Amino acid sequence: MKSPFSLSLSLFGIMAISAYANEVEPLDLASFPGELINEVVVPVPAEIFTVLDKLGEPNWEEAIVEQPKSESQDRRQIALQFGCLIADGFVAVQAKSPAEIQTIGRRVLNLSESLGLASSVRPHCLSIIEAAGDKDWNRVRRELDLTELTVRETMKELRDDELSNLVSLGGWLRGTQVVTQVVATSYSNDKAELLNQPGLINHFEGLVSAMSQKPNAPSFLRKLSTGLADMNDVIQANAPLNPDQILQVQQLSAEMLEQFYL
Amino acid sequence: MTTCRVFRPLYLWAAVVLTTTTIALAYVNEAISMALEAATPYVKEGFSVREDNWSGETEEGKPLLIRHQLFRGNEYWFWAGTSYEKQPVRVDVFDGNGKPVAIENFQRGYFAGARVLPDRTATYFVRVTVGNAQKKQKQTIDWGLVYGYR
Repeated sequence: MKSPFSLSLSLFGIMAISAYANEVEPLDLASFPGELINEVVVPVPAEIFTVLDKLGEPNWEEAIVEQPKSESQDRRQIALQFGCLIADGFVAVQAKSPAEIQTIGRRVLNLSESLGLASSVRPHCLSIIEAAGDKDWNRVRRELDLTELTVRETMKELRDDELSNLVSLGGWLRGTQVVTQVVATSYSNDKAELLNQPGLINHFEGLVSAMSQKPNAPSFLRKLSTGLADMNDVIQANAPLNPDQILQVQQLSAEMLEQFYL
Repeated sequence: MTTCRVFRPLYLWAAVVLTTTTIALAYVNEAISMALEAATPYVKEGFSVREDNWSGETEEGKPLLIRHQLFRGNEYWFWAGTSYEKQPVRVDVFDGNGKPVAIENFQRGYFAGARVLPDRTATYFVRVTVGNAQKKQKQTIDWGLVYGYR
């Protein structure tokens, strides 16, 4: 049975779409005459957390974890950790925890020093810390988004697309684990549908698979590649995922995060 | 000195490249600025605008397609812009089967927008078109895209 949330969305959507659909020709994806921008837009965790908030009142504090001190010298591992840390910043915003956000702001600065990007990231970290003190949650979200963008863009300018993609992957993976935790706690079809992200998983699986096949690829990349392939099998199966599949995705994401973060 | 003579053309070349790049970047940023200008009224309505954005240069009238993960339960606006005067800008959004899904759109001056209430969580396609595809002599035009959600 559809929830009131589903019904209201569906009714409004159908009425509005039918008016608009008459004006625009369907898109023939098989023979598109233009340019396909070769990337999938990776959402920020806040986009999916916003929907979860509309579907209930998740206990975000339960999702807060104590972030490990980085011991790694491997820049690929640090890039993954960086993405995770930004995702944890978004979790702390949902939990409205200024102290946690400020701790994360300082850790973001430390990690950016390890990546040699402290000068670009410092202003954003200071803004995160200040905005958390003011409980200005929108500003914290904006600065977290800006911090991640700054790091990814700087890496691209240094022609290090691999590291830039790993930042995105780290954030997505940690965000996915948190979402599965929330959905597993109080399952519903509407919540489970949020994990229907085959395009994103294909994108990340392809990237990590290519990285893990390079000579001397570290073991954590090979394990990530296997984990993403396994997750892809679960998520491609059907949508929305059933409670057992949610637990499978939660387990797989936790195992992958244990390779470099948790 | 010989060294100076050898390197002088390189200095000149570097200066030309630097100037050209700066001009190109200025245009790209201007396209994003236009898209953000389109977004401004919606921020007051509670939309969070992503800091990430997509931009570049393309042949007039040639459509661009960006794959995008959207979540049912969120409301999205996509805004596109260009710095070129009197060039039509259009944004359309399609589901994985190519069916148009935007429930509202507008075109105004240097920018355009499309609103989407996804009926399912999935990968969608955002199409941006800048300029007139029917023109015989086509020029290169800048474009920029941003989006917001609530």
